[in-house]
Amino acid sequence: MDFGLVYPALVAGRLLLAFAPLPDALKHDHQLSSPLTSYPRLQEGVYLFQHGIDPYSGGLFRHSPLLLSLFSTALPLNKFTSACLWTACDAISAWALVKIWRARQRVSQSSRDSLIAAIYLLNPYLLLPTLALSTSTIENMLFLLSLMFASQGQSSPSLLALALLVQLSLPSAIFIVPMILLLLSDPVSRLASPREFNTYLSSILAKLGTFLGFSFALTSLSVLVCGNWTWVEQTWGAAVMLPDLTPNPGLWWYFFTEMFDHFRPFFLMVFSAHLLIYVLPVCLKFQHDILYATYILAGVYATFKPYPTLSDPGLFISLISLFPETYQYLRYPIVTTLLHLHSALLLPLFHHLWLSQGTGNANFFYASTLVFGVSNGAALLDAIWAGLRIAVGNLPEGYELIQK
Amino acid sequence: MAAVLQAVRARLRRLLGTDENGTVMKIRRRNQFNNFIWKSLPIIRLILLVAGYAWMLAIPLPNLGRKTYIDENALQPGQVNTYWNWPDVLRADRYLADLEGLRDRNASSAEQAAYIVDEFKKLGIPSATQAYSFTGTSGVSNGTNAYAIHSSPRASGAEAILISASRISRTGDLNLRGISTVISLAAYLKGSSLWAKDLIFVISDDHLLGMQAWITSYHGSEQSGLVADPLTLSSGVIWTALNIDYPGHSFSHLGVFFEGLNGRLPNQDLINSFGLISVYTGGVPILLYDHRDPREVPHLESKLSIIPSWLPEIVKKQDAVKEYGFRAKNILRHVGYQARGQTSGVHGLLHRFRIDAITLFAVPATGPHGFHAIGRIIESTLRTMNNLLERLHASFFFYLLVLPSTFLKIGTYLPSVILVSVSMMFTGLGEWVDARWYQPKQSSIEEKAANGQAKSEAIPRPRPVLKALSIVLLTHLAGIALFYLRTLSLASGSETMSLLLFFLMASVPLIALTAHPSPPQAVAPLSKTLKAFNLCFASTVISVTSVLNFSLAAALAVSLGVPLSYSSPSRSSLGIKLAGYTIYAVLGFGWLVLCRKEVQEAIWNWEVLGAWFALFVCIIYSPLVLQAAIVSVLPP
Repeated sequence: MDFGLVYPALVAGRLLLAFAPLPDALKHDHQLSSPLTSYPRLQEGVYLFQHGIDPYSGGLFRHSPLLLSLFSTALPLNKFTSACLWTACDAISAWALVKIWRARQRVSQSSRDSLIAAIYLLNPYLLLPTLALSTSTIENMLFLLSLMFASQGQSSPSLLALALLVQLSLPSAIFIVPMILLLLSDPVSRLASPREFNTYLSSILAKLGTFLGFSFALTSLSVLVCGNWTWVEQTWGAAVMLPDLTPNPGLWWYFFTEMFDHFRPFFLMVFSAHLLIYVLPVCLKFQHDILYATYILAGVYATFKPYPTLSDPGLFISLISLFPETYQYLRYPIVTTLLHLHSALLLPLFHHLWLSQGTGNANFFYASTLVFGVSNGAALLDAIWAGLRIAVGNLPEGYELIQK
Repeated sequence: MAAVLQAVRARLRRLLGTDENGTVMKIRRRNQFNNFIWKSLPIIRLILLVAGYAWMLAIPLPNLGRKTYIDENALQPGQVNTYWNWPDVLRADRYLADLEGLRDRNASSAEQAAYIVDEFKKLGIPSATQAYSFTGTSGVSNGTNAYAIHSSPRASGAEAILISASRISRTGDLNLRGISTVISLAAYLKGSSLWAKDLIFVISDDHLLGMQAWITSYHGSEQSGLVADPLTLSSGVIWTALNIDYPGHSFSHLGVFFEGLNGRLPNQDLINSFGLISVYTGGVPILLYDHRDPREVPHLESKLSIIPSWLPEIVKKQDAVKEYGFRAKNILRHVGYQARGQTSGVHGLLHRFRIDAITLFAVPATGPHGFHAIGRIIESTLRTMNNLLERLHASFFFYLLVLPSTFLKIGTYLPSVILVSVSMMFTGLGEWVDARWYQPKQSSIEEKAANGQAKSEAIPRPRPVLKALSIVLLTHLAGIALFYLRTLSLASGSETMSLLLFFLMASVPLIALTAHPSPPQAVAPLSKTLKAFNLCFASTVISVTSVLNFSLAAALAVSLGVPLSYSSPSRSSLGIKLAGYTIYAVLGFGWLVLCRKEVQEAIWNWEVLGAWFALFVCIIYSPLVLQAAIVSVLPP
């Protein structure tokens, strides 16, 4: 189908949905927005800021000062602007995803464009957080924009988008390395024919310098907006110290509700470091196709980040549309799909049993987040397998592939 | 250095058994295992299915289940002296006489409410009335509730206990004795200073509507079609509630009704405490619902028992059989309420707001119990609830009561449904794998053999995933359309509309008959892919529902298990295909025509009380059966 027709239709549909009278409960849903991305908290922070109270002095507001300055000056938040803005973010993300696909295929347009846009715009894991006005939608947009510019070889815009992303969500710093490497290579699929990655350390350092420059500028801007440094602990600190144990579909919160306080620092270190250790191995193993490495890291990020919402796995799932060459090497796509189906039903159900109906307890919801973790893990492992397996190609009859 | 590393790696490999031979062995074993599973899949899924159904049948077995016990230590049921006595009974009798007078004058419900409020005021308890009206597709109903709130003398009133009686009993008679009990209890309970929670007395109009209006207003939630006065008096969070239903002159047993809307059950501790108190404090035996044990009333045995009469006497006389029959009767009643998401009484409306509530039903009889017994039992039960320091919790919400004092834990009944669900999942996955591989026919193999390529290996082929998914999506969308059409057309309530809808829903999918079979080596047949999705989704729905509403999941497992697992496109003539299709159509949509009363009730439950059952049937159950129907008419 024609992309020029399907894309506007999808965006228009999304806009209509954004204006539909959906229950306010969506905004407070723990699965759709975390304390770091919740819309009511953003509104609260903007209100406090406009009335001359430091929003970071309480434990409520954990959004970046950049969002604070944007929404308290240029873009006032109300029902109309936020519906338009959030839909626009998703529209840009879908468009960026299509651009990445085109860059990977080195074509100016293809028959798959519409499908890719649809996979992004109709993905319920992404649709629902957008309807709940979770700022994770903005984070996803920045990630995809950064990836798009990196795929097109535009260094500065890509690193600027990445710097903005890291400002909004510190754990996304795991994308710095792959994004720089992608800028130094190209997004064309080389999964089937691996080769060594050749570059100079100096060029990596140059890109890193640019990134740090942007980050420094943005941080200064934040300090300028707030007039002090308290926001650092409330925003970035939250991603490391996990002060707010509001339930979410991730793996961190329950673990830390159960923990004795004197073990907390140690396990916070372990959990944070765990997120980082994947970066180098994945980039080394997929050095021939850095875009794929970024995709794998997006999966790691969605599974193990401190305050995930449904939109993080949603991004990972929608990114799979860029790599159709791996589909035939996936080992258990139906099992992963069914796991996701189960967890997508169990999460809201057990959440309801625990917090609305009162017949269940926290362990119910925790169990469903474990199922969700397993389904994300299964998708991730299968993606890694398929990405490596494709290089071997079809096996002759009677042969088996083993890993040593 | 390198040599050392090599040596270490070699040793590690030997230790871990991953040397060449070991790997080969491992692969062989894995392949053998896979082959074994694949070959025995039809048997495995049959065994699982049969085991699941057998387990369901085993649930009422006499030696299953355990005695009920009190889990929450704070409750201390039956540990207090009760002081409700004959003067209070006399007071109840006076209220009863007044109420009977009102009844004989054909007083309107507003007048009765005014009388009740007046009596509460005479007692010095703040009270008020609440008028409401419901507007639905089945007309308008008005009424007036009366309620009174006795503030706790000992605490801040952050928590409350609700005692209620509806004007109309579940039997359809007037619940005058229930109302008199509540008013005279209010007079009596006001005299003690030990209440740590507010006591809320509600005399609701009608059977369910009054309480629905009252509890909705109490929690400040809105409901379309309901116009109710705001409540002028307020209290704290209601933790527990007792609803009194006493329609007869006297009673012989107290029956417990506990199922709430959408299959929510109250904490079992509440039922157990009441049971203990009733037997040991009040001396009144308790029943589940109004089910008397047929063995206790020999002259009514044939009427009360559900054991079919055609069974030989020698079987019927077995004690185990009688026990099985009695337990099965209780379970079936429970499933009837829970699966349909119906409330078994006024208490069920409160569950929505996280209130643990039950109805005490005084089973009408000529004796021996009356106001004296029921007053003492309620007094003691309220004292037990008054002891609570936190809400009832401890996951005592998942149970299956088979006798008043015997229950099954979740682990004893849940696996039955899960086994059926797993069998369906295996069938679906098997179908999915099967769709992938094309087995060349014998003749073509011979041909190939003649050409020197002696291979009978299966050829992979693509599966029409998008096509099958769009059929699935379309059937569910059709279900949504059906739901809205059915709800709208209820106003007219015409039989022709039901028939029309039935034929519309049943005939449109017959377009599938016109589908042309695609070449089996090029692409997998649509029927196989559709069946795979159908079964996987049905299995997911069943296993997920089982935690929320076991009875509904069991009903789904029974109605979908076999039909969906064994749906298959036939190569035979059009007539046989159509016959098969008709069976599925009747299974999926027959309720439109065959159970019109049931449908009306379900839609009323949805509109007025917010029970999800009607919606669930329309958008989950019927579409699933419809997909199986489409599978059966698609080309193989």
